[in-house]
Amino acid sequence: MTARAERLPEPSNPLGIDGIEFVEYATSQAQAFGAVLQKMGFAPVARHRSREVTLYRQGSMNLIVNSDSPSGKNEPDKTPTLAAIALRVRDAGQAFQHSLDLGAWEMPTRAAAMELHIPGIHGVGDSLIYFVDRYRDFAIYDVDFVFDSNAKPDPPALAGLHWFGLVQAILPDRTADWLDFYRTLFGFQVLPRGKYFGVLPKGTLLESPCRKFYLQLIEPPAGAEEVRWNEGLVRVGLGAPDVPKAVKALQQRGVVFVDHGAVQPSDKGALTQVYLGGATFELVVSHL
Amino acid sequence: MDTITLAGPLEAKLKAVREAGFTQIMLNATDIVGHPGGEAAAVAAVRSSGLRVTGFQVLRDFEGLSGTLHAYKVDVAKGMLEMCHALGSTVLLACSTVSPHSTHDFSLIKKDLQKLAMLAVPLNIRIAYEALSWGRHVNLFPQSWEIVAEADRANLGLCLDSFHILAHGTELEPLEDIDAHKIFLVQLSDFLWQETRSAEERIETARHSRVFPGEGVHSDKVAAIVRQLDETGYRGDYSFEVFNDDYRQLPLPMVAERARRSVKWITGVVSRRSLPARRATAAGGAG
Repeated sequence: MTARAERLPEPSNPLGIDGIEFVEYATSQAQAFGAVLQKMGFAPVARHRSREVTLYRQGSMNLIVNSDSPSGKNEPDKTPTLAAIALRVRDAGQAFQHSLDLGAWEMPTRAAAMELHIPGIHGVGDSLIYFVDRYRDFAIYDVDFVFDSNAKPDPPALAGLHWFGLVQAILPDRTADWLDFYRTLFGFQVLPRGKYFGVLPKGTLLESPCRKFYLQLIEPPAGAEEVRWNEGLVRVGLGAPDVPKAVKALQQRGVVFVDHGAVQPSDKGALTQVYLGGATFELVVSHL
Repeated sequence: MDTITLAGPLEAKLKAVREAGFTQIMLNATDIVGHPGGEAAAVAAVRSSGLRVTGFQVLRDFEGLSGTLHAYKVDVAKGMLEMCHALGSTVLLACSTVSPHSTHDFSLIKKDLQKLAMLAVPLNIRIAYEALSWGRHVNLFPQSWEIVAEADRANLGLCLDSFHILAHGTELEPLEDIDAHKIFLVQLSDFLWQETRSAEERIETARHSRVFPGEGVHSDKVAAIVRQLDETGYRGDYSFEVFNDDYRQLPLPMVAERARRSVKWITGVVSRRSLPARRATAAGGAG
C-alpha cells in the first residue's frame, strides 16, 4: 500500500475533487445540537424552504443539520450522526455516472436533504456521498434555503478553523476493502504508515486527490471484542493553524475538551467531550 | 452443509443440519425467496437457528455482458447482495458465466468482477468467484485465479469446488500458486463414475448425482485436494456442495447423518493437525 502510494507522487483525480462542500448531520435534537455547533463557532445562516433542515456556516465550512423525517421513514436518531459528505467535483453528473460504472450504489431517492437534485451514492453504513459542482459562482443553498436576513451569510471562522477530514469506523479486517473503495472511486491515496496528524494516531490515513482533506479509517482496537462497533462516519476533524489558540477560544465559548490521557490538548490536536450521546469534534494542527 | 442437498422447508433443513452437529449452513437464494412466510421470515429463521452462514449462492452469468444485459445483471447482483447482507452472510458465490452473449475478453471479465466487488464493499460481503466446469470462457480454477489475481480487489477471491476439478480432471499442482487468503470458500463433493466426457455430462452429474466426499469413486483425489489446500495455508470454510436427486427424497436426518460421516471420513484420511473439524474454535469450520 505504502509502496504503491510512494510510486505515484502525483495523485490522479478522475472526478476533479476539490474539497468538501458540506457535511450533513442527522438528528431529531436539532435545537440542542445547534447549540453545540454554535459553541463550536458555527452560526445558523439559513433554513430550508420546506423541510426541517438548517444550514450552519463558519469560514469556508458549510454544515447541514437535517431533522426532517422523510415520509414513510422514522425520524432520525436523537444522537447526531454524520449522515453525508458532499464533495466538490468538476462535473457532478459525470462523477455520479463514473461511480455507478465502477460499482457504487445510487442513493435512495428522497433521502437527500435538498430539493435541488444533487446526485449521490451510498457511503459507509447509512451515510451518503454527494457530488456538487456548483460551488463557484452559484451556491446550491440559494435554491433550497432562505437566508436569515438578520444573520451574516458568511460568518468568519473561529481561530482559522476549517475542514480537515473525517473519521470512519470500520469492522475488523476491512481496511483493505475500504481502501479499494476510496482509491478506485475517487483516487484517494494512502499516506505512509506512521504519518499521522492530531492526537489520535491510529488506523489508516487517506489523502484526498485534491490534497484538501483526509479520511481516517479505524478498525476496532485489539481487546474491544465486547464493544458494539458499527461501520460509519464517527466524527469530523477541524483543522486549526494554532491548536492551543483554538482550544482556548472554544473553551471560552463553553466547549469542553478531553483533558486526560493521550488525547489531552496539545500543539498537535485536541478532542472535545462527547455531546448528545455521540457527537464529538477533533481539532488537528493543519497546514491546509 | 448446503441447503441444496436437502428437501423440505428451510426450518426443517436448519434443524436437521444443527442436530447432526454442524455449526454452519450454506444458503441458496431460493431458500429465502421461496419461504412461505416471505423473505423476512426466512431471514429470521436463519438468524434464530444459531448456525453461522457460510455463504450465499448463487449469482450466475454476471460477467462479460454489455449494454442492457449488463445493467439487468447489475440489478440482479444488487438484489442478491442485499439478501446476502440481510442473512448475515459475508460471502456471495458468483459462478463463471455460461452465457453465449458474454465476451471472452478477460480484461472485460475482470472489470465486471471488480465492479461486483465494489458493489459488495459497503455491505461487508466478499465475492467468491467459481470456475464452473462448463463455464463458457472460464471453466478451470487456474483461469479463475488468473482473473481474480489480476483484478486485485481485497474482497474478490475464489471459490474452489472439488466437483469441477474432478470432472475436468484438472491437475492439482496449480493450487500451490494460489494465495490461500484469496480462497474464500471450498466446496467438496464427489460422484459415482470415473469420467464425465462432455459439458452436458458434467452438468447432468453436477446437478443431480453428486455424493458426499468418501462416498464416491474419486476419494483419493478429494483427499489430495484437502491436503493440498491445508498445506498452502487455507484455513477458511469447507462446505458440502452435494446436488443429489436421491438425497432430496430421503429423510433429512438420514442425509445429514451421511454428511456427518463424510466429515469423519475426511478427518480420517487427512488426519493432521489443522483440519477444519479439529479446529472447532478457529475461524474456519465444517459446514
